[in-house]
This record gives sequence, C-alpha cells and structure tokens, in this order.
Amino acid sequence: MSVTNLLENWSQFRHFHPVDDKPHDPYKWAMSIDLDTCTGCNACSVACFAENNIPVVGKDKFEHGQQMHWMRIERYWDEDVSNPGGRDFPDQGAQFLPMMCQQCEAAPCETVCPVAATNHTPDGLNSQIYNRCIGSRYCSANCPFKVRYFNWYDYPTDDSVWPAEMNQQLNPDVSVRSKGVMEKCTFCVQRISAAKVTAKNEGRLVHEGEIQTACQQACPTNAITFGNLVDTESRVHKQWEAQRVEIDKDKQEKDEEKGGTDLRGYRILEELRAYPSVMYLERVRESAV
Amino acid sequence: MIESGFDRRDFLKVLGWGGAAVALTGCGNTSVQDGKETVVSYVEASDYMIPGVSVYFNSTCTQCEASCNINGRVREGRVLKLEGNAASAINRGKLCGLGQAGVQHHYNPDRVREPLLRKGTSGETITWEAALKLINEKLTGVSGDQIAFLSGSVSGHLKVLLGNYMDSLSSKNHFVYEAISPAVQRAANKKSYGVEMPKFSLNKAKVILSFGADFLGSWVSPVHFSQQYAQFRKGVEGKRGVLVQVESKMTLTGANADRWLAVRPGTEGVLALGLVNALGAAGTALSADVAAAVKDFDKARVTKDTGVSGEHLDKLVALLKERTPSLVLSGNGAEGYAHGSQNAAAINLLNHVLGNVGKTIEAPAVVPFPQMLSANGNSASLKKLNDGMAAGNYKVLFTYAANPVFTAPASMKLADSLNKVGFKVAFAHYMDETAMAADLVLPLDSALEDWGTHIAEYQPEGGQISIQQPLMEKLHANTRGAGDILLALIKQRRAEEYKAFEDYYAYLRTAVLQNKAALGGGAAEDDTFWDETLTSGIVKVAGATTALSGSTAVTAPVAAASDAQYPLFLIPGITANLRDGRHANQPWLQESPDPLTTIVWDSWVEIHPKKAAELGIVEGDMVEVTSKSGSVKAQAYLFPGIHPDAISIPLGRGQSWGRYAKGNGVNPFQILDAVFDKETGELAINETRVQIKKTSKRVIVIKDEGSAGGKQFGRKIAVSVSSNEVDLSKEV
Repeated sequence: MSVTNLLENWSQFRHFHPVDDKPHDPYKWAMSIDLDTCTGCNACSVACFAENNIPVVGKDKFEHGQQMHWMRIERYWDEDVSNPGGRDFPDQGAQFLPMMCQQCEAAPCETVCPVAATNHTPDGLNSQIYNRCIGSRYCSANCPFKVRYFNWYDYPTDDSVWPAEMNQQLNPDVSVRSKGVMEKCTFCVQRISAAKVTAKNEGRLVHEGEIQTACQQACPTNAITFGNLVDTESRVHKQWEAQRVEIDKDKQEKDEEKGGTDLRGYRILEELRAYPSVMYLERVRESAV
Repeated sequence: MIESGFDRRDFLKVLGWGGAAVALTGCGNTSVQDGKETVVSYVEASDYMIPGVSVYFNSTCTQCEASCNINGRVREGRVLKLEGNAASAINRGKLCGLGQAGVQHHYNPDRVREPLLRKGTSGETITWEAALKLINEKLTGVSGDQIAFLSGSVSGHLKVLLGNYMDSLSSKNHFVYEAISPAVQRAANKKSYGVEMPKFSLNKAKVILSFGADFLGSWVSPVHFSQQYAQFRKGVEGKRGVLVQVESKMTLTGANADRWLAVRPGTEGVLALGLVNALGAAGTALSADVAAAVKDFDKARVTKDTGVSGEHLDKLVALLKERTPSLVLSGNGAEGYAHGSQNAAAINLLNHVLGNVGKTIEAPAVVPFPQMLSANGNSASLKKLNDGMAAGNYKVLFTYAANPVFTAPASMKLADSLNKVGFKVAFAHYMDETAMAADLVLPLDSALEDWGTHIAEYQPEGGQISIQQPLMEKLHANTRGAGDILLALIKQRRAEEYKAFEDYYAYLRTAVLQNKAALGGGAAEDDTFWDETLTSGIVKVAGATTALSGSTAVTAPVAAASDAQYPLFLIPGITANLRDGRHANQPWLQESPDPLTTIVWDSWVEIHPKKAAELGIVEGDMVEVTSKSGSVKAQAYLFPGIHPDAISIPLGRGQSWGRYAKGNGVNPFQILDAVFDKETGELAINETRVQIKKTSKRVIVIKDEGSAGGKQFGRKIAVSVSSNEVDLSKEV
C-alpha cells in the first residue's frame, strides 16, 4: 500500500466503530454547542462536578495542573488584543469554548492504551474502564484536546475533598475514582444507560429528549444540544445536517467554499482526523457596530 | 508431586477473599461490610422510597435573591443534585453554578451545629431552651427603639413573621441590608418609570445597550436573563440581537458583547446624555426639556470625557436609530459612584427617547400580597444602623442572612459600633465574621432542610410565589430554621396568638391555606391543595400590573475630581460565583475558574497591560493596593478588559473562616472609602481611588488559561464569524 493510497483513501482504512459496514445503529451519541449563545458562565462545569463525583483538588494541586474538571470553559482573546500594534481592548468581548472529551470516532487515545482501558462502544462513546486502567497516561499524552484527567491522589480518602457530610452528596450512579486511573467526560453515560434500560424494558428506542447530559440540563442559554445522531428526528441530527457536518469526513462543505456559506458548524482540529462527536457553532459578531 | 500444606483450593479461597476485600474497600467511601454506613439510612422508609431509585422534589434556591425554582434529586433520603424546575417562569428548568452549589451549602462540614454563647473569646455550647430564655431576659426592660434586626433581603411568610416579631417588641428597626444590590437602580427606575423594578424584555429587543449591567452574571435574575439572552441572540424576526456593553471593567456580560466599549470610570452618564444629544441631531424627537438638558453633550465633549471614539459613537447612534425596539440597561458598573443616581437617570432617559418604555420595558406583575413582597436590601440601611450603633442607640441586635462585619468597608468602623451594642444575636450557618462578633449564635438549618415562601423582587411573568421545602432530613439535630426561631421568639411575646402553631411549618401551612382561594386553590380540599402546592413548588397568582409612568428629568452627572495621590479607580469585581462572599466556603465555587481571568482559589488585581508596563508590573507580581481607608496585597493579573485608569479586585474572598474560604485571597470591601451616592445614600462601590505599588514578591498565578495565555496561535479552536456572513434565521 502506497502512502499516497493510504492518504487518499484514509477514511476507508481508518477503522470506524462499529465495524462491518453497519455504523451506529440504533444509537450514535453526539453533541452540538452553540458558541454564540454560550456565555461562559460555568454552570455546565459545576453541574459536571455535581453529577460525576469530580474531586475538588484545591489550590496547590491546581497549581500543578492536577485539576479534574471534565468540562472546562476555555477563554480566548482575539489575537491582536494588547499585542504591539494591536487593539488596546478586547472590544468584541472574549471567546468562550466549553471543552470536554470530544468522543472521537477515531480516538487517538484508544489506540495507545496498552491495556485497552479506553475503547469504543457500539453507540459511539469513547469509554473509560476504570478498573482496567493501569495509569500509563499514554491516552492523555495522545489526546489533542487535553481533556483526560489523571488521579494523582486517592481523593476519596483525602479529607479535604469529601469530608464527612460532603461525601453524602456523591452520586451513587457514578464510580468514585481512586488513585492511578485516568478519567474524563463520559457524555453522562450513567444517564444514557438508565434511559436505554428503560427503553429496552418498554420495547422501544430511546426518544429524543429522554437523555440530557448534566451540562446540557444546567445550561441557562440552551447552548448545548445532545442526542442520537442516527435519529433523524433528533435536534442534534438536524443541526449537524443543516450545518453539513458529516461525522466521517475530515473536511466539510464549509471548508471547501470560501466566503459566506451561511454555515457555522465546525469541529475542532478536524485535520487530525480524530472525527470528534462534538460540533461547535461559530460565535457571531455584529458587523454593524 | 510436591508435597505442600497449601493446596490450590485453599489458595483460591485466600485470593478470593483478598479480592473481595479489595473490591469492597476499594472506593474507600462506603462500605456495607465494615458497618460504617448502612445503605438505607432509615428503619422505616416512606412508600415512595425505593433503594436505588431517585425521587425528585421541588423547592426554591436561596443562594441569591432571584428565587429560582429548583428540583432536587433525592436518593435513599439524601439530596444529591439540584436542577432547575422546568415549570418556573424564572429559570425554566435551568440553574447556574452558584445555585447548584447549594448542596455544598447543605452538606458543608463547617456549618454551625449547636447554639453557642460567648464566654470571653470562645463560644460555649448551650441548649436552645437556655438560648431562647437568655434572649428573653436580654429583651426584658429594653424599649423597642433599642432593639434592631439586621437581615438580608427577605420575603414571604418569614418577612411577615419577622415584621410581627418586631411589632411585638414595639420596634421599627428592621434594617434590610445587601452589600451588592441594585438599590440605586430601584430609586432611578422609580423616578424614570414609576416602578422600582420593571419587567425587562431582553428577548423583544433588537439592540441591548448595557451600561455595566452584568445580567448574564450577577445582576438581578441572571438565569432568567440568560435565557432571554439566548432568544435575543436567535433574534426577533430572524435578525440577531446586538449587544453593546459600556463599562470600565469587563463583566461576563461585557465579554459576550458584540462591541465592548471601555469607558473612563464614572462617565457612563455623560455617554448616555451624549447619545441622547446625537440621537436628537439624527432626527429622534426630543422634548424641549430633554434637548436643553443634553445640549452641552456634543460629540467632542463626550469623546473627550468618556474616551469612547467618535466612530463608535456614530455607529452606535445609527444602530439605535435603525433597529427598534432596543433596551438600555443600567447596572452596578454605572451606578457605583457618588453621582450613580444621576448616571442611572441619564441611562434610563435613553429608553424614553428611544421609545422603549412600554415595549421592552414593561409594567411588572405585582403579587397581590403586599405584606409578603420582598423587603429589598441596600447598603444605605447598614449606614443608618451603623450610625445608630455608634451613637449607642441599640442594646440588642439580631443579624440574619447578612455578614456586615465582612462586607462593610473598614472606613465605616462597624466592628467598633458593634461593640457598643450590649447583646448581639446572630442567626448563622457558619461562624462567619459577624457570628464571631456575636454574643449568641443560633445555628440555622440549611436551605435544603427548611421551609419557606419566597417572592422574588424580579417577577418575569405574571406573579409567582416560590415554595421552599426540605429535600431531606436535617443533618444536624440541633439546627433550626429561621422561621422556627422567630416563631419561638414571638411566642415569648404573644403566646396566645401563636399557640396554635407548633412550628414554622404549621404556621406556613395555615397561612397558605387561609389564602387558598386567592392562591388559585378554588374549592380544593386543604390537603389536596397543600400537596399540589408542594409538588409544583410554585404558586402562580394573578399579578396586578401597575402602569408605567415617570419623568425624563436628568441632571448632568458630575464626576468627582481626580486625586493625584490615589490616581486609579478601584472597581470591585462582582463575580457570578462568589458575589459578596457568603458562599465562599463551597469548594465548587472556589475551583470554578473565574470566566474572564480563569483564576481559581485566590484574589487578583486586574490591571491593563499598558498601565502595568508603565508601572513595571508583570503577571504574578504581588502588588499593594492602597486607598485612603486601607490596603490589601494581591497578585497582579494583566487584563485587557479594564480601563487603564482603573484596577479591579473581585469581591467575595478573604474570609477568616471556613476550610475552603479561609486564607484564599483578600477582601476588597475592607479598603473601600465611605463615599455614598448623593441621592440614595448607597455605598458608592466604584468610587474608591487607590494607588498601586509593586512589592518584591512574585507568585505563580494559579489559573486555567494554559501556558499560551489564552491565545489560539492560528489554530481554529474557538472561531468567530461576522454577522453578515451567516443567517441565523435559517438554522435549526
């Protein structure tokens, strides 16, 4: 196989999940986040702490980069702000971007795990098996989005994290992770599983709107949409379709055409061909002021 | 064969046990086997309690005054998570980070658990009976004028009960205090629109021009406004709403603006009058009075005074002319000056001139129970109380839901005044600064253990009463609800009238059921109506609306002269998470990065990069910020979203209590000058002038923005597009 052939027909060679030409039936969980309505308020991030038993690490560990927030709000200034020759003020505001595991279809983290602790589920999640993880941290090193968080300490036994009474808040549906394992956003897999079980018991598929991730549920501006990309009735499917973003492409219609396409859907670092399951909608700024 | 006393079967047994033991204790948190904890934490569970299945109860969030309706997830008798109540007109199923951290208020390990009586410098545990008896003794022979009650904003039946208690003491001294409140705005709105808090319809506006109103972060009812903001962005008639924010220190709302205009501190009113003048010149009809009032505010003067460029001014005027209706908001950024009321009046005038009154500023619904309506806090009341205490007027002082020792500027010398009060009783959740100064501390139930009714000051649609009910059993046996304490106290005075009420719950239930018809209960059975009320957590009432009226009179705002010794304005940052600091001991809020600077767990001094270069300050330099009233030291953070003539330190940190709050950062309230708004007497929080001095120490700023300092270096991570390249109306 020549390199040219490999590059030209990359999508055929790159393995998608599940295999056998039956991609994602009946579920493929995906998200879209509208950066024009996201205000950067952090409600999603706090909701994630509450739902997923994320330890609060404190000042010193935060300083060492050991924070555990699965969902973080990245804040960017326009490039020329307060640079020599640039604008003095960020007079078009800041840019906020909620960043969490992008649940890539060809996840770079999965291929490097020596013990297959992180792998792909048939419904398109990049899952993390805590009791298989040996803490090599290769996955984190290989993650282009830097959204994997390692337990450097045994937080459940650390009295500053969940002291008496505070531990009663822990969500019994989510494992409390111990020292030496990697963790990350799961798209609130416990909520997905619960809904799937209910649906299965009732002999049907999960409806649109039946599952809300914790971040989506909290978001005061409804910037986050989550759902089943396979379901043509789902809002997330409609949004992806309207924005012409296709999950198995590394270049979208928007990238092909220059100038006003009326499209603002994009995926981050798409050129790396990780095929993320999260589509962002570009922030809009008024041209008249 | 190797002979051994250790056969395979035994070996597996050992391994099996070992494996099981590891698995059971592996998570380290709960273990059935070691008997530390039982899975179902009660003997007789309620019918609806099924182990492993969550139940949901509606209640009301008390983390701020917006009174969002919440829905608590309860499993095995424990509250786990708070969501918004979808039926609420206020928050429509959504909840901010501060609200969600309510569970950490409830489970907080530093809550006060027993009544404490001061013995010298420490507290001694006493019984409730002894505590209540002591209060009774201290009140005996004291006239009503010598008794004062300081509370935060309070509404609903608690306010009624508190009012009745003060009546029973023949005291009129209920001071309602909030360190951060829209009090200047209330007064200005009353003059401009005839009501203190009209209904703002952000979702009907095509342009929002906000002068320092952080409606997405901490202003009035942020979750409600965030939702309206989302609709506003999607657009009226398919045209995306445009947000222009004018302020000296960028707020969260400013960070979301299409155009953020850095204005010289305190000149917001000048800009507003300049806009009125320019609108008049562009053909908008102005009354003779208004035209006369603004005639001096020509473009040259306005650009010179405010620092806003003529180009931006022209574009803004054109936008406001072209796209109507618009909405102009005035917030803390513009109001925190000695001439704050004048600024607010000038800003409100824009709404009249642009014809927004009646369109995006509407008459509010008023809940028809005046005695229950919110008593809204302000800081002028603290000054009044403080003056009274300093004059030795009070012998007994109660405090509830306020921490004035922390939030009053040191220049007010509140601690000294408190010493002149003979007996101080603090209703407290934590041993905060005010509780530490008290003689008797009464431990309160958490908001998730207590009963209550709340009527938010800001009523978005119709009128609604929010019901607060316990989401779980009390964590600590000896805490009590504020209502229960007040009821016990009032029984000391008016035993006959209140003997029918065993507890506050009984009082609340009776009071609600007495008004069943007015509350929409109709002919329903009492029990049915009560159950329905608790189930929904919201009582919608037909709100009377009062018509808007109001004047367009303005006086030209006059800014205070600059001070050569203290050249910079200190604009305290009001953050959505920490606000005045009462919730600083909730670790989620400490670890949740400030959206703009991404700093965690500490205070910082925002300084514009240009100013910093001038002063030779780099990020992490510990700087000393000195005002006439004191000084604090904190790390410098170079922040482009601040006017070079100003610096900012966030409020809410620098506590002396709480394992998560103590020792993190500094309290800028301390160094505020005692300057007050000329019309309302509110503390002018942005009026303090400071000088800044670099110290020899430098620290690493603990923040989340990464090593690139929040730059993308050409990678397309967070992408923007100009509004003329997309059409949002075509989107799904």
